[in-house]
Amino acid sequence: MLSQWFGYEAKRKRLLAKAPPGPLRDFLSVPFPDPKTPLNKTPILAMDFETTGLNAKTDQILSVGHICIDSFEILLSSAYHQVICTQGELKEEGVIIHQITDDTKSQGQKVEAVIEKLLYAMAGKAILVHFSPIEKNFLQHTCKQLYGMAPIFPIIDTLMIARKRLDQRTSLYSPNDLRLFNLRDSHKLPRYKAHNALSDALATAELFLAEIEYKQPKKSPPLKSVLS
Amino acid sequence: MEIELQEISDFLISIHPFENLPQAIIERLIKKINIRYIRRDTSFSEKLKTPERLYLLRKGAVSLLSDNNQLLGKLGEGDICTAFCHIEEDVKFTIKVEEDTLVYTIECQAIANILQDYPEQLSFLQKKSNRHFKQDLFNVQETNTLASSLMNTQISDIMHHFVATAEQSTSIRDAAVIMSSNNVSSLIILDQKEVVGILTDKDITRRCIAQDVSTSQSVKQIMTNNIISASAHSNAFEVMMTMTRKQIRHLPIIDEEELLGIISVTDLLRLEGRNSVYITNAISKADSIEEIQESCQIIPQLQLQSVHMGASADHIGKIITAISTAVTRRLIKLAEDKLGEAPVPYAWLAAGSHARREQSSHSDQDNALIISDKMKPEDDEWFAALAKFVCDGLNQCGYVYCPGDVMATNPKWRQPAKKWSEYFINWIKTPSPKALMYSSIFFDLRSLYGDNQLLADVREKMLKLSPKNDLFLAHLSFNALKLKPPLGFFRDFVLIHDGKHNDTLDLKHNGLAPIVDLARIYALSEGISEINTIERLKRVRGSRSLSSEGADDLLDSLEFISSLRMKHQAQQINIGAETNNFMAPVELSKLERSHLKDTFKVIQTLQNYLEMRYKIG
Repeated sequence: MLSQWFGYEAKRKRLLAKAPPGPLRDFLSVPFPDPKTPLNKTPILAMDFETTGLNAKTDQILSVGHICIDSFEILLSSAYHQVICTQGELKEEGVIIHQITDDTKSQGQKVEAVIEKLLYAMAGKAILVHFSPIEKNFLQHTCKQLYGMAPIFPIIDTLMIARKRLDQRTSLYSPNDLRLFNLRDSHKLPRYKAHNALSDALATAELFLAEIEYKQPKKSPPLKSVLS
Repeated sequence: MEIELQEISDFLISIHPFENLPQAIIERLIKKINIRYIRRDTSFSEKLKTPERLYLLRKGAVSLLSDNNQLLGKLGEGDICTAFCHIEEDVKFTIKVEEDTLVYTIECQAIANILQDYPEQLSFLQKKSNRHFKQDLFNVQETNTLASSLMNTQISDIMHHFVATAEQSTSIRDAAVIMSSNNVSSLIILDQKEVVGILTDKDITRRCIAQDVSTSQSVKQIMTNNIISASAHSNAFEVMMTMTRKQIRHLPIIDEEELLGIISVTDLLRLEGRNSVYITNAISKADSIEEIQESCQIIPQLQLQSVHMGASADHIGKIITAISTAVTRRLIKLAEDKLGEAPVPYAWLAAGSHARREQSSHSDQDNALIISDKMKPEDDEWFAALAKFVCDGLNQCGYVYCPGDVMATNPKWRQPAKKWSEYFINWIKTPSPKALMYSSIFFDLRSLYGDNQLLADVREKMLKLSPKNDLFLAHLSFNALKLKPPLGFFRDFVLIHDGKHNDTLDLKHNGLAPIVDLARIYALSEGISEINTIERLKRVRGSRSLSSEGADDLLDSLEFISSLRMKHQAQQINIGAETNNFMAPVELSKLERSHLKDTFKVIQTLQNYLEMRYKIG
């Protein structure tokens, strides 16, 4: 896992050398947190996207929500949410889930502006998501389109943490148990309305605190123990 | 603000004192919130941080303990903990996290800044933090006196040693058979000899029948695992606290993995019943008003504890009335000791809620004297002295003087039997508005002490007369219908967040009184002698006056509103406030709100029937 991080840092430096000036280069110029840092000293950004579908190549990011965790405290002052004015009309089945209509969308900001701000918020932090492929693939694909290059970033995935915990137990579990809201239920966390980027980011952040408390309640484990 | 933090905003405005603050202020507060998650059984103080912070429990439960491990208080979802806002050097306490807890924390200074233009809300939070410990310590002492009998009772002394058990592979149907043949409502589920779960009759209803689970399935599917148990050495008070907090009704008693017995809430309630008997006994042996007064101080705590244990409002009303009766009787005895023997036979009468056995801890006194017709004019001196002694004594014990002067000290209500008969005949035959005001009090009379036959004779005549007098019943109904349930209240309810409506609901006059009045009218029109509202409704159920459905609806409504009132007063007792009947809408949950609305509709419908019957208006 440590080698993986060295991979992260090495790759960041390699990408930095090639990156064109602009938001992506700025992002890559900030070192990632050291994997030996205890988690309570690691700056963490919980993040979630709503997307038009599941395929990063053909679908688009609709909205972005994120919130900071510092010393195991979620700071509501850092809560951020932004809708993107994507191209094309929205699919009805999607609208039902994420509740973002064409009207709200049209009031959103351009994708360049949103990603620029997002990269700025992510710089120097470990990125916390639940089920990371979506956020990772969509962000990389969008950056490739915008800057001609995909970034790399250290990821903490609450789904992976929970899976590790459940794997250690003898009892069986269903994949359904690993869904954000079912995991939250199992920790008796309050129910939030699903599928809004910020409230999902907040929901993930709270789940992370609960999982960490269960993992090692006495001392703060290092970042590397939770990196994906 | 980000509309996406709506859930946090909703949570905040559901808590007093934040409910009426403008959205902009709420948003500023939210920006200052940090969220933390604290695992069960960890100590909070080690994670204590400066600067001083206020904690809002979003989920979970914590206990505040004094340095000698006395429980100062328990906080649950939606509770505010200001313990860290003014950390006093001399007050030592620890916080024990009882359940996994999600807390919102805000720096006290930030709140003070944001709420500087809202002194009411700010001072509530500040007062709360100042008062907190002293008040809680005081409450603990009071509870302790009351709880002493529970504390001194070992669970092993009151638990049931026989426990119905079943293996986890048993089918739900077989489990139900075991339960019914043993006449128990819970079953301990075993895996070999190890206790793995508990199954109650409620589980069968909720998790099997309601969910369409086949009864041939094993009980493992529907039992509660992760069961909580207690040791046989724990005391009844601890066990009661655990059961109250976890809202469970059955608790297995296990020591060293061996199942020894089981205890239910009913067992504890029975024990608590002995508590009130103990108080009543103490009162009947008291040698001075001061001694009686001392015993009475426990009544609010008794009410509080009974509410916590889930006793019905009817049950609590009867316990409290039993104590009032004991107090009155003892005071009369003390008066007789002082004044000498009564010149002629008499009876001390309780009126209103005391007569109906529907008192709560803050009831005032309503009483009267009925005296033998052999009374001579000069005898009144003795009775006046008796009345003064008893009414003053009652007032001293917390039953404040009746604002309407319905007391034996009023010469009008200190009369021989023949005069009382005259009163009733007058009220019934020539009803006047003023007469009817009294009738609602005096048609509910009970003899507490002395010659009970005096009142019985008068009432018998009255009950023969009343059903025949439609005019009287019509007037009585007219009076009763003046108190309408406030259905419009719910409109205001919707507007409550605009900060202009600080309406409260008068549970007594708008909720209970209309039902009590209806029951009285039904009873009088059927010539029924019962006084207690529930008994009246049960007796008139299915009569000419009231259909069985109507009676059932009213009985449900009565229990619901009474229990709301008990809960409301319990909260007031808990924070050391005077109790009253005014409930702020924020105290109601959504479910209670809709239930209350239905309840009001029931009352309104039955009032409308009455109105049609006597063609009023």
